[in-house]
Amino acid sequence: MNLKKFIVPAMVLAMGTASFSAYAAEKVVKIGNILPLSGPSASVGIQGKQAREMAVDEINKAGGIKSLGGAKIKLLFADSKGDPTTGVTETERFISTEKVSMVTGAWNSSVTYPSTQVAERYGVPFVVPVSVRDTITERGFKNVFRIAAKDSWWTRDQFRFLADMQKEFGVKVKTVAFVYENGDWGTGFAEKWRELAKAAGYKVVLDEPYPSTASDLTPVVLKLKRSNPDVVFMTSNAADAILLTKTMNDLKVNVKAIVTSGGGHADPSYLAAVGKSAEYLFDIVEWETDLNRPGLKETNAKFKKLYGYNLTGEAVDAYASMYLLKDVLERAKSTNPKALQAALASTKLCGGKTGLLAYDCIQFDQTGQNKNASLVIVQVRSGKDGKMERITVWPKNVRRAGYKVVFPQPGK
Amino acid sequence: MIGYIESVINGILMGSIYGLTAVGLTLIFGVMKVVNFAHGSILMVGMFAAYWFITLTGFNPYLALVVVVPLLYFFGYYMQKIIIKPIFEAEKHVREPITVIIVTTGIWYVLDNLALLVFGAEFRVAQTSVTGKMVEVAEMYFPLAKMIGAGITLLLGIYLYWFLKHSRMGKAVRATSLDREAATLMGIKQSRIYNIVFGMGCACCGVAACVLVPFYYVYPTVGVPFDIKAFVIVVLGGLGSVPGAILGGIIIGIIETVGAQFMAATWTEMLIYAFFLVVLFVKPSGLFGLRQDY
Repeated sequence: MNLKKFIVPAMVLAMGTASFSAYAAEKVVKIGNILPLSGPSASVGIQGKQAREMAVDEINKAGGIKSLGGAKIKLLFADSKGDPTTGVTETERFISTEKVSMVTGAWNSSVTYPSTQVAERYGVPFVVPVSVRDTITERGFKNVFRIAAKDSWWTRDQFRFLADMQKEFGVKVKTVAFVYENGDWGTGFAEKWRELAKAAGYKVVLDEPYPSTASDLTPVVLKLKRSNPDVVFMTSNAADAILLTKTMNDLKVNVKAIVTSGGGHADPSYLAAVGKSAEYLFDIVEWETDLNRPGLKETNAKFKKLYGYNLTGEAVDAYASMYLLKDVLERAKSTNPKALQAALASTKLCGGKTGLLAYDCIQFDQTGQNKNASLVIVQVRSGKDGKMERITVWPKNVRRAGYKVVFPQPGK
Repeated sequence: MIGYIESVINGILMGSIYGLTAVGLTLIFGVMKVVNFAHGSILMVGMFAAYWFITLTGFNPYLALVVVVPLLYFFGYYMQKIIIKPIFEAEKHVREPITVIIVTTGIWYVLDNLALLVFGAEFRVAQTSVTGKMVEVAEMYFPLAKMIGAGITLLLGIYLYWFLKHSRMGKAVRATSLDREAATLMGIKQSRIYNIVFGMGCACCGVAACVLVPFYYVYPTVGVPFDIKAFVIVVLGGLGSVPGAILGGIIIGIIETVGAQFMAATWTEMLIYAFFLVVLFVKPSGLFGLRQDY
């Protein structure tokens, strides 16, 4: 075969595609997003995807990135299935094949942890809206930026809350139990709980990791019941949160309080699925729909109209992360990863659409952690219409006006 | 002590339901020598059908059996007839047709993603008259829905056993499973038997789905955790054996529940697979398996 005959068209074709992508790069900024779109955390993954799409749609309709000649943001999504290996492969693909300017994701800490490592190696900024494992921003990486609070802040506030409740109601808590999913997220929380319980002088009567893909959690609940703790701390994904809450209610596990860690317990389908079984439960979150923030009602109404459910903490973080990216691109005036990294590091984004968050400004410290991220605790109660409601109770200064906290919860 | 008795009984109850989810798999494998990877998805289809039936009509949840079981029977019957059969024909001289396994995997993906598209990723729980009802015996609590489930499993097991052993159709099914060619020579229409068996396998999923819905949540990939358990159970009990599947399920249930009382729940999975390996070493065909099946 004549080699020239083959090579020449191939070269023409290659040049054609190269010049085409160079042309495309002027008009479009590609952002890679890694999310669990299937598997046990699919529902939060889809919330993140929908919130991103809504934000980017708004940004693009408002004229895109003005400093880049009105360039449009183009979102690429990859399904991590909640699996670390898939997350790593997809990050590689986004950076080396798709040539994205920035990557965001990946919700599951176990996926974010190795995926951010890939981004760091290539020097491409990785924005983490939600993934709470501390160590994600504690490896001296330059390209990893997290918007959400890290898990040591979550556990710290859970224990502060418990101490405040004991003071407010004059009830003494002596024993605690830990029940958590056995992934990075749950075990990360449990490590911190152990230290905090020791410091506060609580006796740990049960320390139980369980697989969140388990088809039955009755064994865990039986054990919990026998250990008879005053307070249970839990970290669960959606499916297992539903199973545990229902089984605990069915088997009449009596405790003074159940303190959960967002995630599955904050999932919109959770309350609808468990109904009254979740009465009096305390959940820690970054964000709640009853927060009094400017523009929240309108954005929530729009979101609900588009997707049929209220905004969640995950969705708001994802939504805000897109406005953060817009702000960064505007300031960097470039899609070069180095310039973007520098722009991210000097972020001070206040108000506007990011004002939907529970705090005012996004600002990163030298580790890439948003230092303003804050947390609130809500109590689950059944409303007049029988629908379950989440009511902000802590810190006391943001407690919903006129609400009386129920602590300890009545026996079953 | 009473806590351990409670655990064992809870293990048996949940285990028999695991067995129930595995019966359909073992039935299809026993006859067609095909591992049906779409099994969990068919269970999911059944659960959604049962969920909507119960939620929309508000009837007693077990009335869903009347609708869901025939529905899944025809679903399986026509899935085999339209999708699987043509591929099976192409490979009919192979004892274990591999391409069919790949097709069932395809069906699994299509069904799961279709459900995700149609119903969304949220978790749904049916509120029924038995949901959350507990039976109290000497300070031990057992969920009523699981007790009914275990009872239904037992009845289904007895019926299938009788059907395969004594009915004319059952004999034809067993003949096909033993020797396809010989059965065909005796005037048994192989393709029809396959359609019926696939339909029955799916109908068993329908029974399992109706049993699960009153106390379990429904979502598009709900079949996956049951699927993995079902594979272990059918191999443990012996591929193709109905009593083996139910007993295998009960054993897994007991290990899971009792094991968790002595160690963290994370480790019971390891215990299940360790036991599984031991059985494979000692009796490779499983507890009730036939010699020729390994």
